[in-house]
Amino acid sequence: MISRLKDRDSLVLVGSVLGLGVLLWLMSAPLAMLPAPVGPAAEQFSAGALMTIQLTLVSGIAGLVLGVLAALGKLSHLPPLRWLADFYVWVIRGTPLLLQILFVYFALPEISPKLQLNEFWTAVIALSMNVGAYNAEAIRAGINAVPTGQVEAARSLGLSKFYTFLDVTLPQAVRISLPPLASNLIALLKDSSLAYAIGVVELSMVSSRVQAASFQPFPVFLTVAAVYLALTTTFTQFAGALERKLAVGKR
Amino acid sequence: MSKGDVIISVDKIVKRWGSFTALNEVSVSFKEGEVVCIIGPSGSGKSTLLRTINRLEEHDAGRIVVDGIELDNDMKHIDAVRAEVGMVFQSFNLFTHMTVLDNITLAPQRVRKWKRERAEKTARELLERVGLAAHAHKYPSQLSGGQQQRVAIARALAMQPKVMLFDEPTSALDPEMVNEVLLVMRDLAKSGMTMLVVTHEMGFAREVADRVIFFDGGRIVEEGDPAQFFSRPTHPRAQAFLSQIKHAG
Repeated sequence: MISRLKDRDSLVLVGSVLGLGVLLWLMSAPLAMLPAPVGPAAEQFSAGALMTIQLTLVSGIAGLVLGVLAALGKLSHLPPLRWLADFYVWVIRGTPLLLQILFVYFALPEISPKLQLNEFWTAVIALSMNVGAYNAEAIRAGINAVPTGQVEAARSLGLSKFYTFLDVTLPQAVRISLPPLASNLIALLKDSSLAYAIGVVELSMVSSRVQAASFQPFPVFLTVAAVYLALTTTFTQFAGALERKLAVGKR
Repeated sequence: MSKGDVIISVDKIVKRWGSFTALNEVSVSFKEGEVVCIIGPSGSGKSTLLRTINRLEEHDAGRIVVDGIELDNDMKHIDAVRAEVGMVFQSFNLFTHMTVLDNITLAPQRVRKWKRERAEKTARELLERVGLAAHAHKYPSQLSGGQQQRVAIARALAMQPKVMLFDEPTSALDPEMVNEVLLVMRDLAKSGMTMLVVTHEMGFAREVADRVIFFDGGRIVEEGDPAQFFSRPTHPRAQAFLSQIKHAG
C-alpha cells in the first residue's frame, strides 16, 4: 500500500513536469481553434506563458539560494551577518514588489551604468530578491523545527558543523519548509505579471495588448486566467507529490 | 580485575547557568576499561558532567583531558575528542529522515572517511550485535523505543570509540523495553568498553559497575565499590536516596 502510494507520487512528479512542457509546447494549438480575439493571438499567449514560466523558474531557483543564505544569516552567531539578513528581509517584505522592480530598472543604473540590465534580467533580480526574503522566513522556521537533540547527536559523533547542517539539519528543514516554499513559488508565478511594468512580454502583458487591440476584455482575460490556473495547478500538483515523496520516516 | 591507564581526567570543573551551579569543582578520573555508574537525584549535575566530557556543555572553569587531548576552545580538539567518545541519549536522537543503516554509516563515512561498503559492513555487524539485523532498512519511526535506543548504541559504536557515555539510556523507555537495552549494555561492558553510565537502574549499577559515583548538589558526595555503596552508603544524602528508591521498588 505504502509503496503503491509512493509510486503514484513519482508518477505525479514526472507527469507534472511533462505536463508543464506539453502545456507550453502545444498550448497554441487548442487556443488557435478559439474564435477571435483569442484564436488569432494564440501564438502570443503561448509565448507569454513561456516567458512567465521562465521568469518563475529562474527567479524561483535564485530565490531558493537567497532564501537559504538569508536564513543562515538570520541564525548566525555573527551579529553583522544577522543584521544584514534582517535588513534584507525587512526592506523587501516592507516595500511593494512593483516598486522593487522599478527601482532595479530605473534607479540602480543611476548608481552605475553597469547595473543597467535588460528587462528580463531586471525582472529576475527583483523577483528573486523578493521571493528570497519570504523563503528565508520559511527556511528559518524549518531549521528551527529540527530537534536540537539530533544536532547534538551528530556533533557527538564527531560530525563537523558543516556536515551536521548538510546531512542532518538541511534535509529535514527542507521537508518542513516545503509547503510554505511551494506557496511562495506559486505567489511568484502570479507576481511575475508585474514585470509587464518594465515591458517584459509575459502573459499579463499579452492579455493587455490583445485586449487593447480587440476591445473584448471578457474572452481575453478569461483565457489568460485559465492559462494561469493551468500553470499554478501543475505547480501545486508537483509540490504536493514532492512533499509526500519526501515525507519518509514520518509517522 | 586490573584496569588500564587513566583515559578521562576531570579536574575541578565548574559549570554555571546564571546563579545556578550545576557542577561545583568536580574532580574525578576514569580508567580504560572501567564501567562507572553515576547516580543521584535529578538536577544534581550527573548528566551535566557527561555532557561536558564531549563538550555538549562548555565548562566555566577547570580542566578536562580525554585520551591526552584537553577540551578547550580549539574546535580541532573538540572534534577529535568527540570522534573518540560515543554518546547515547535519553531520547535516542536518531536522524528521523534516514534509515537505520544510514544513521549508522553517516559518521564513519564523513569523519573517518570510510568507503560506503566498509561502513555498511561494520554497520551490519553492529546491528547483528544489538539484535536488529533485520531492521537495517527501516526508518526510526517504524521501530519501538527499545529498538531505537539499540540503533543509537550501534550508531555510536560505529565510530569505534574508546569511551561510551550513556545519559539515562533507559529513562524514556516503556518498562518492558528496558531490559533489551540493558542487555546490550551488559555485553558491551563485558567486551571491555570504557563506559560512563548515568542511570536510575540500580540493579544494573550493582551488577555491572566497577565503581559507583553519587552526585548531589553539583558535587560528588560519595564514590566507591557498588557492593559496598548499595549495602552500606556512608553519606546521609546517599542513604536517603537509596532508601527512597528501595521504597519505590
